[in-house]
Amino acid sequence: MTIAACLLALSIAPLAAIILCSIVRNPRACEAFNLIAAAIAFAAALPLPFLIGGRELTFWDDYVLLDRTGAWVILCTGTVYFLASIYAIGYMRLLREESRLYVFYALFAGFGLTTLIGPLMNSIGIYWIAIELTTLVSTFLVAFEHVAESMEAAWKYIMVVSAGISLALLGTILFYWGGSFVLGPTYKMTWAVLASAAPQINPILMTLAFLLVLVGYGTKVGLAPMHTWLPDAHSEAPAPVSAMLSGALLNTAMVGIVRFLAITRRTSIGELPQLVLVIFGTVSLLIGALFIVRQQGIKRLMAYSSVEHMGVVALGFGFGGPLGIAGALYHMLNHSLNKSLMFFGAGNVMRAYGTKDIDRIQGVGRHFATQGSLWLAGAIAITGAPPFGLFLSEFTIMRAGLTPTFSWAVYVMAVLLIVIFIGFMNHFRVMYYQCEATDAPVAARSSAWCTVPMWLALAPLLVLGLWWPGGIWNYLTAAAQTLSPGAP
Amino acid sequence: MLIQNLGPLASSLFSLLAIVSLLLAFVMLGSRWLKNYLFAFAAESWAIAALSAAVGFYGGYPELYLIAILTLLFRGLLLPYLIWRIIRRLSVDREIHVILQPSTSLVVGAFFVMFALAISYRVAAAFHLELTVAVLALTVLLSMKMIGFLMLAVRHEAISQILGLLVLENGIFLGSQILVPGMPLLIEMVILFDLLIVVACFGALVGYLLTHVGSTSSLDLRRLVG
Amino acid sequence: MRDILLQIAQVLTVLILAPLLQGIILQFEERVQRAQGPGIFQPYRDLWKLFHKQVAVPETATWLFWVTPIVAFTCVLTVPILIPVLTDFPLPLSDMGDILGGGLILTLASFMIILAGLDTSSAYSGIGSSRAVMVAILAEPTLILVFVGITLLAKAMLPFVVNHLLVADWAAYMSPAHLFLVAAFFILLLVETDRMPIHSSTHIEVYMIEEGRILEYSGPLLALLKWASAMKQFILYTIFCNVLILPWGLSIRGTALGALGAAIGLLIKFTLVACVVVFVETAQSRLRFYRYQEPLAASFLLAVLAIVGTQLS
Repeated sequence: MTIAACLLALSIAPLAAIILCSIVRNPRACEAFNLIAAAIAFAAALPLPFLIGGRELTFWDDYVLLDRTGAWVILCTGTVYFLASIYAIGYMRLLREESRLYVFYALFAGFGLTTLIGPLMNSIGIYWIAIELTTLVSTFLVAFEHVAESMEAAWKYIMVVSAGISLALLGTILFYWGGSFVLGPTYKMTWAVLASAAPQINPILMTLAFLLVLVGYGTKVGLAPMHTWLPDAHSEAPAPVSAMLSGALLNTAMVGIVRFLAITRRTSIGELPQLVLVIFGTVSLLIGALFIVRQQGIKRLMAYSSVEHMGVVALGFGFGGPLGIAGALYHMLNHSLNKSLMFFGAGNVMRAYGTKDIDRIQGVGRHFATQGSLWLAGAIAITGAPPFGLFLSEFTIMRAGLTPTFSWAVYVMAVLLIVIFIGFMNHFRVMYYQCEATDAPVAARSSAWCTVPMWLALAPLLVLGLWWPGGIWNYLTAAAQTLSPGAP
Repeated sequence: MLIQNLGPLASSLFSLLAIVSLLLAFVMLGSRWLKNYLFAFAAESWAIAALSAAVGFYGGYPELYLIAILTLLFRGLLLPYLIWRIIRRLSVDREIHVILQPSTSLVVGAFFVMFALAISYRVAAAFHLELTVAVLALTVLLSMKMIGFLMLAVRHEAISQILGLLVLENGIFLGSQILVPGMPLLIEMVILFDLLIVVACFGALVGYLLTHVGSTSSLDLRRLVG
Repeated sequence: MRDILLQIAQVLTVLILAPLLQGIILQFEERVQRAQGPGIFQPYRDLWKLFHKQVAVPETATWLFWVTPIVAFTCVLTVPILIPVLTDFPLPLSDMGDILGGGLILTLASFMIILAGLDTSSAYSGIGSSRAVMVAILAEPTLILVFVGITLLAKAMLPFVVNHLLVADWAAYMSPAHLFLVAAFFILLLVETDRMPIHSSTHIEVYMIEEGRILEYSGPLLALLKWASAMKQFILYTIFCNVLILPWGLSIRGTALGALGAAIGLLIKFTLVACVVVFVETAQSRLRFYRYQEPLAASFLLAVLAIVGTQLS
């Protein structure tokens, strides 16, 4: 299969699912359409890192770009989309909203489509529009359960994120303006053109534009202190949507920051952009740690864990160098898998116990043998313990940070990771091993549709933690080369 | 580069339109009645459309005439109409200011303008453009942005928050017309339509808020904490 | 020699015509509200009556009580020397103070009257003083900013330079900076001369601000204070018209005929502005005290925008 065919399949399959779901409103049929589209998208995304080789390809008159970073992120997104689609079949049947289910699957396929094509956009303006579209589509997914809390979460989400990415639009325009001094008033707004003009753009404008873009897209990624929408949106959305939000959307927005960072590295600003990124990462870790320790809701716990992990990714990209960037990219994949696993487990537990409070969920291990152990394994993984993949990626990032300028961040990161481990595991201890005060009513076991994705998510996580193939390492290092030109 | 070659008449015309837009943003900041916000926003969009046409005329960008007409129709007429329909569905006419009085907001906005002027002067000085309209464009751009954020922060009515977001976008659009008039047409048109979709989504969400929460004021949206 | 005469003529113009302006404004107000009105020369009759009355001094008053009317009157007599009243060109002694200096001298007069209100330990005077200070706190920074804006507009501190600039350069007259300054100063004019929506000259005790400060005065002292406040109004109108909005009609060469013409032109200009002021006043009602910040915040904002406008052209 050629790359062009893969990309076409990637885009057309979810689009077809949207159209079919809108026309054929049968819930079972919509489930099937979405699942098939997700499977096709995953099958098309999987070979992309292998096929791309050493090149950066552009298609369709320079509007579509495929480079190593983009291929990697599309792989993460495709995986999460596939797993979440499988899980959604089982989960959404429990919601008993059969009449509106076609809306859900149409929006879900739309969400998948926009997050898949985000990293492909070559023009920085159209990339912004793709991010804006993801916001709009996912708002209605967050608001799907028509309850007051969901509405509040959706309103906060769209307000904060729209305001945030308008800052990113301002940064984009300032970048374009800077480029226009070098390239004339009209030119193609692609990443490569901007990068080639970058050395001649004034550093002051570059700094201002990058900071705006960082804060803007950082709102979408969930870096603190712009993360305020994240716990609400991720906790009030249905579980498959939460998995997509955490696993797919945050990565897509991060690609923008990383590409702009690569552009600024070609000018003579010095270390300021990276320093700011490291500071945002550290603050995200701090906020994540503090809120995880005192958390009371199961899905908000997972959401703050997302904030924390995005902080770790930001730290990785901020540290720079082949180790840092490779570690960050690897962390993206591990986090997508792991967070999906956690949200799937949380969704199952929520439906079974009928509550979101950690205190009222007890004896998970006794009632649910397989799912419980999968979920517990996921919890151990997400706090960064070996032998899972997250341990390797966090360790790589920490190694990358041990330079004279950033070593303080590594120490803070280590301490906070320990704090998060203790806090997170404490909540799980309460849920699994605390003696039950009353016999809480437990619903029937959930279907296989909800268990299989958890297996499918855990297995690669274990594999990636135990086995670090040279091919992946070479790929990631090559991606790091393109993202930090001239770095040692 | 357009900015460097502007004649004095064109320069003062751009200045006038930009400052009128900024003034209308302040009118929005200081008003209590939702209809006044809306009319000020519509007038501001018309001023920006006029600015687009002026830039197209003096800079020789005929495609900007199309953008000007589309701005007039969409941002100037269609968006206010959609928002007016949303307001009609609500039972609120005016906003009781709990967080910051309008007069204090005006003073805070004035400080934002001074801050924006300082930044723009520094940025323009780096390009030796201090004496051109670039400083004004950047100032109005940054201050309308900050005023939009101020409106988002201190207003609790949903409509005011939507209008704050639209003021943000207006500011960016105004700045981009003066600073980068040559930006590819496709981007500008898609951003315009995107705004339309955003407001349509807001309309749907406000409807949901009314039905399920009972009010559109964010003071009532306090269920999710921690 | 002729210049010195013109200088004296300026001061005399302000002295004599100030009550006339007050009378015109009050008469217009009454006529707009379909009442008969006392006639435009009523303030003269009031002053005449007050000069022939006896002075009643409270027992708790000190030397400040006697000194204040004299200081206030002197201050407002000094300011016409500094601003273009009749002539286009600076007269001797007019560089004694610039725009900012003129503003400061006017503030000194207000300050003395406020102190006099506190001096007599009367309840209503005290309230009037504290409220007047509150309004001043809100209005003075704006006034300073407006003066700064005027200075930046003409790049000089003398009002005469501003006058020349606005007469000569149509673009400067129409520039946004100038228009915003006019708007900001108009609001300040309304506030400082106690027109609605501030209207502190009421005789209802609960709302008293201006009247409260001078409640304890009587006889010639009261006459001096009332005349001083009328002259302050005249001076503010002069600054508004001759410096900002209608800078034409001043005598260019300083002949007697020119001076007379300038005086008549002054009255015509003031009548125009008075019409607008009366229109604005009748169109709105009095604001609550805690909402005084709103028009003043708008004025502050306009002054800031004007300053920003001067930086950008």
